[in-house]
Amino acid sequence: MTGTTEMVRADNVHKSFGSLEVLKGIDLVVRSGEVCCVLGPSGSGKSTFLRCVNHLEKINAGRIFVDGDLMGYRERGGKLHELGEKDVAKQRRSIGMVFQRFNLFPHMTVLQNVMEAPCRVKKEAKADVRDRAVAMLERVGLGEKTGSYPGQLSGGQQQRVAIARALAMRPKLMLFDEPTSALDPELVGEVLDVMKDLARDGMTMVVVTHEIGFAREVGDNLIFMDGGVVVEQGAPREVIANPQHERTRAFLSKVL
Amino acid sequence: MSDQTTTERARPEPIKAVPVRHPGRWVTIAVLAVLAAMFVHLLATNDNFRWSFIFSSYEEGKRGVMFTGPVLEGLRGTLLLTVTSMAIGISLGVVLAVMRLSPNRILSSVAFVYTWFFRAVPRLILAILFGNLNILWSRVGFGLPFDKQIGDLFGIDNFNGQFYSIRAADLLAGFVAGMLALGLSEAAYMAEIVRAGLQSVDEGQTEAAVALGMSRFQVLRRIVLPQAMRVIVPPTGNETIAMVKDTSLVAYVPVAGELWFQLNAVSARTFVVFPVLVAAVIWYLIICTVLMIGQFFLERHYGKGYGAAARARQRLRDIEVEQGGRVIDTGEGR
Repeated sequence: MTGTTEMVRADNVHKSFGSLEVLKGIDLVVRSGEVCCVLGPSGSGKSTFLRCVNHLEKINAGRIFVDGDLMGYRERGGKLHELGEKDVAKQRRSIGMVFQRFNLFPHMTVLQNVMEAPCRVKKEAKADVRDRAVAMLERVGLGEKTGSYPGQLSGGQQQRVAIARALAMRPKLMLFDEPTSALDPELVGEVLDVMKDLARDGMTMVVVTHEIGFAREVGDNLIFMDGGVVVEQGAPREVIANPQHERTRAFLSKVL
Repeated sequence: MSDQTTTERARPEPIKAVPVRHPGRWVTIAVLAVLAAMFVHLLATNDNFRWSFIFSSYEEGKRGVMFTGPVLEGLRGTLLLTVTSMAIGISLGVVLAVMRLSPNRILSSVAFVYTWFFRAVPRLILAILFGNLNILWSRVGFGLPFDKQIGDLFGIDNFNGQFYSIRAADLLAGFVAGMLALGLSEAAYMAEIVRAGLQSVDEGQTEAAVALGMSRFQVLRRIVLPQAMRVIVPPTGNETIAMVKDTSLVAYVPVAGELWFQLNAVSARTFVVFPVLVAAVIWYLIICTVLMIGQFFLERHYGKGYGAAARARQRLRDIEVEQGGRVIDTGEGR
């Protein structure tokens, strides 16, 4: 299932907020078709790293490549040039992102939420987008809810709409930032099911999560972060069953 | 489970209690009723209102002062002035608000200085000042800035870099001066209102839109502004209503095509003061009532999808509390 091309490559990524260094040299490779789960305690920098991948946060040092493209910059003659807003937007089009708090557009119906970006950003024909959007919503089990407003849906339903909204742009990479952390416990399953379905279809995914079960079952690779560095990584079953590092052991003993 | 309890125990009798009395309210209502009766009596019986002067005919062969030709023309001017100055105010206000929120220091300070100036100067003085601006220039137009100085620099006499210009006295007098004074002053207030509205929209909205590849302008136009509208519309309605009333200030620019100027002219000619004032009150009441009704429907339109969203947010907060605040700590702590 996993290909050989590198979908995401992070080389020695550093990120500071003021004097606080949040990422202290992250190296990471996610091959296309792979599901990479990122675990770690709060404040370990995992969400920040995810936001750096699609350049929502500017990194201070290092490089991030998505599908071979350097994110946010152009390198010419050994010098880095910041990309303009348009070029960054173009890079982001092929990267879907799902947020912890859903961030659906509350003033638009579910269908409008899903159609907005393909229509406005890619300027695709409305009829095509509508068909595809309805198909996406059916895929996440919300074909009935196209006319509802986000506020009328449960958290689990909202998050599934958010996934459909990201998928409507036909991304080659999906980033999930703690997609189930804001959900009632009984709603977590429906969102994870959609994500499992996506993984089976061969979508490349980077998932920041606290769901150890999901990581074990679906993940091809598990990254454990703490204090802004990757402490341990490897096949999820092995890392979870037999963590090599003390910090990993301590974290897993608390969550399992 | 609840079925069980109901079968086991008989339902008690519904509560039938004597409600709490509110004697204070009834006294207040009685006082207000008497005052209202006195007011109606005053309107109906006091001849100094001269209702026929207001409604039917103020002079031989003329209609009531509210409905004579010049006054109706003035009414049209007042409405036009309200619409145009609010249009200037709102569009410039949005620009200023966006500038104010810009990460660029120069842009945000320019917006700040603008707001500072126009909020500090009284509108009446501003209106008269704009009416007298033609003292500064003989002609105003579009063209090369500093054309005279550039001409001098290269030794060309009377170098003219203007593409188009007209006499300042023609442009900066009357209606245009009044419109500019009111519109530019309104922009300062609208900038503050729009800024508050933009800031009220959750940052996650911008992030989600940007992550989808939308441009900054698209995010503003499609995502942020429509949501900010819910916060912007109510005070803008109030501003519009205030603007209707403030148009009366431009009578002193002077602008002749304006309601208060025309009513004033009638009273100057006929030496009848009070009924003319009452006519003005009635016209402004009518316009503002219509606007208030419009505002109600606008607010309902922009509140779309929100009653439920507020409930959802409340639920989300409840979940956060249940989870020991973990969500707040990772989501908003950034």
